[in-house]
Amino acid sequence: MVPDQALDSVFHALADPTRRAMLRSLAAGERKIGDLAAPFRMSFAAASKHVRVLEGAGLVRRRIAGRTHLCRIEPAPLAAAEAWLSFYQRFWTERLQTLDSLLQAEDRKGPTP
Amino acid sequence: MSTDTLVTLRVTHRFMAAPERVFDAWLDPATAGRWLFATPTGTIVKVEIDARVGGKFIVVRRDGEDVEHVGEYLEIDRPRRLAFTFAVPKFSVAMTKVTIDIAPLESGCELTLVHEGVLPEWAERTRGGWGMILEALARSLGG
Repeated sequence: MVPDQALDSVFHALADPTRRAMLRSLAAGERKIGDLAAPFRMSFAAASKHVRVLEGAGLVRRRIAGRTHLCRIEPAPLAAAEAWLSFYQRFWTERLQTLDSLLQAEDRKGPTP
Repeated sequence: MSTDTLVTLRVTHRFMAAPERVFDAWLDPATAGRWLFATPTGTIVKVEIDARVGGKFIVVRRDGEDVEHVGEYLEIDRPRRLAFTFAVPKFSVAMTKVTIDIAPLESGCELTLVHEGVLPEWAERTRGGWGMILEALARSLGG
């Protein structure tokens, strides 16, 4: 289980549209920080700051090869989102089945008023 | 999936009942109290539904402790579509959105429910709630 504080940093990291776009880019594979910065016309320093937030949330891992900073995605924290999905998938499926049973029970009792 | 939404789930269910009956089950307090946020172990102790756009609902389930389910109606188009915001403040301050579309079939209808989770504008306000959701998930899976 992911501790609450870790989840907070994940949501903080994901709350920013630039960082979400960076993650989408990283989902396709490893990227240099310069490549992540390019679509936003931002400096290396600004992009690096965003990457640091993503690193802090455990969403991105950075490795340095010579003078190049390479980033890749770390999918584990996103498992929290998966947990939400499976919880509510099950929740709504059960609720709709209950409603169905309720309506069928009404039908057996006779026509609705 | 919209770029502004972290998670979206979709559930469909086919009913033998007419669209109107399925639709009304969401908004009629007496009916909703029997199924909507009910659980086998919990008792619904309060159902207040203000069934108009901008109106709010509150459903309280007592299951050891009281759990409030709250939201506001965004769209009411009987019997085709219903949309509302949805939150369980005890578990998370995050406000989510539920949209229900009901399509008539030759006999009965098909309901499609879309639940969009944690919108970014709310995400930064989310605190420990997800931990509790995860605990609830673990409990419901018997973990």
